[in-house]
Amino acid sequence: MSQPLQDNICDDLLFERFYKKHSKNLHDFLYYKFGEHLNPQDKVQEAFIKLWQNCGKIALPKAKSYLFTTANNLMLNAVAHQKVVLKYSKQPQKHYTSESPEFVLQEKEYHKKLQNAISNLTEAQRIAFLLNRVEGKRFKEIAELLNISTKAVEKRIYGALKKLRKEIKEL
Amino acid sequence: MKREELIKKWLDYNLSTEELNAFERLEDYNNIIQLDTALTDFKAPDFSIDNNYESIKPKLKKETAKSNEWLKPLMKFVAILAIGFSIYYYTTTLDTHIDTIVAQHTKVELPDSSTVNLNANSTLSFNKNNWNDDREVRLNGEAFFNVAKGQKFDVITSIGIVSVLGTEFNVNQRKNYFEVTCYEGLVAVTHRDKTVKLKPGYTFRIINGKLRANEKENTTQPSWLRGESSFNSIPLKYVISELKNQYNIDISTNNVDTSRLFTGSFTHKNLDLALQSVTIPLNLGYSKSGKSIVLKRE
Repeated sequence: MSQPLQDNICDDLLFERFYKKHSKNLHDFLYYKFGEHLNPQDKVQEAFIKLWQNCGKIALPKAKSYLFTTANNLMLNAVAHQKVVLKYSKQPQKHYTSESPEFVLQEKEYHKKLQNAISNLTEAQRIAFLLNRVEGKRFKEIAELLNISTKAVEKRIYGALKKLRKEIKEL
Repeated sequence: MKREELIKKWLDYNLSTEELNAFERLEDYNNIIQLDTALTDFKAPDFSIDNNYESIKPKLKKETAKSNEWLKPLMKFVAILAIGFSIYYYTTTLDTHIDTIVAQHTKVELPDSSTVNLNANSTLSFNKNNWNDDREVRLNGEAFFNVAKGQKFDVITSIGIVSVLGTEFNVNQRKNYFEVTCYEGLVAVTHRDKTVKLKPGYTFRIINGKLRANEKENTTQPSWLRGESSFNSIPLKYVISELKNQYNIDISTNNVDTSRLFTGSFTHKNLDLALQSVTIPLNLGYSKSGKSIVLKRE
């Protein structure tokens, strides 16, 4: 029987590597799921600290899922006290001015519609879709991150795209 | 290839060049691309892994330090426990001491409900913990024992050992004076490797290392329990020291022969009466000034 060298991540270096591998994904996941006003960055840090405090109790293969669950719960606790307002408020910043005012206005309009449509997606769809489109993650990566099958990811993302386009066309 | 398939492959960043061309020819290609570019504006705020790790690092360090610190209170707790245990052990295995001062009588209950009446100026010690294995008391002075039935019961004095099994007896051990009187049952007295068995009413007495004849007495309790000291042919000096034990006084006996034998008794309640009961039969007189008493020949 071969045993892993270390079955927890109490080791400094191991923890650092773990942090660098998962922190951004966790942050993005929380952001696309809950929006930014609940401060996903803080929750990421909190979740990692919790993981560190309990590092002796958590086997390495379970660490990632512990981390995501913890962060998710931290978020849900915050949500319980605050009505969710999904607000993807990051306004597009255009650095070029060659567009006609009309075009700029159209652009603004389009973003508003899109924002609305995104907040109307289901949570599952939104997370998968934005991780895919914005963060450029492939289906397989998302599936790993969310602990679901690639097929399910594909379904969520395609469904989200269809829904978005439909809503934008309607408005 | 079907439209849906193409879009899905595009979503998964998995289009070959051929498929890409096909995808670009889709009638809603522009729409999709417009949507896609607009979506990038919804990107999550930058999460700087390195910066964030640096900011979390001190907290982790503190936690590791803490993980050692939890030992500290534990160590304290263990130390307190150890100290407490040793104190408990020490005190419970320690002998129990009972002292009486001059003119004081005390009744002591031993752990097995045997009782000891301790006469004045005496010391009794025993070990409560070992009591079940070893019924053993150390005596210095005089005491009357009423021993509950059971294992061997030993009274250890500097002159001899008295062993019994459930009985009533009196042990009197003063300076150079050792007296055991049995009132009930059977008492064995060991003195210098010789064991003498005493039947009820008999007294074993050693004065100055010499064995005195023992004779039968017809009382059921030593007289001192009734507030009286009785003597039967006992040298005067032991009578005087017993007087000193019962009364807080100083007695000087210049010119008086203290080896004369005295038979009689004195009370513990009245000093003058006691002095008279000792001096008159021996044809002596005394003068009293405060706490010091001088005996003299008439």
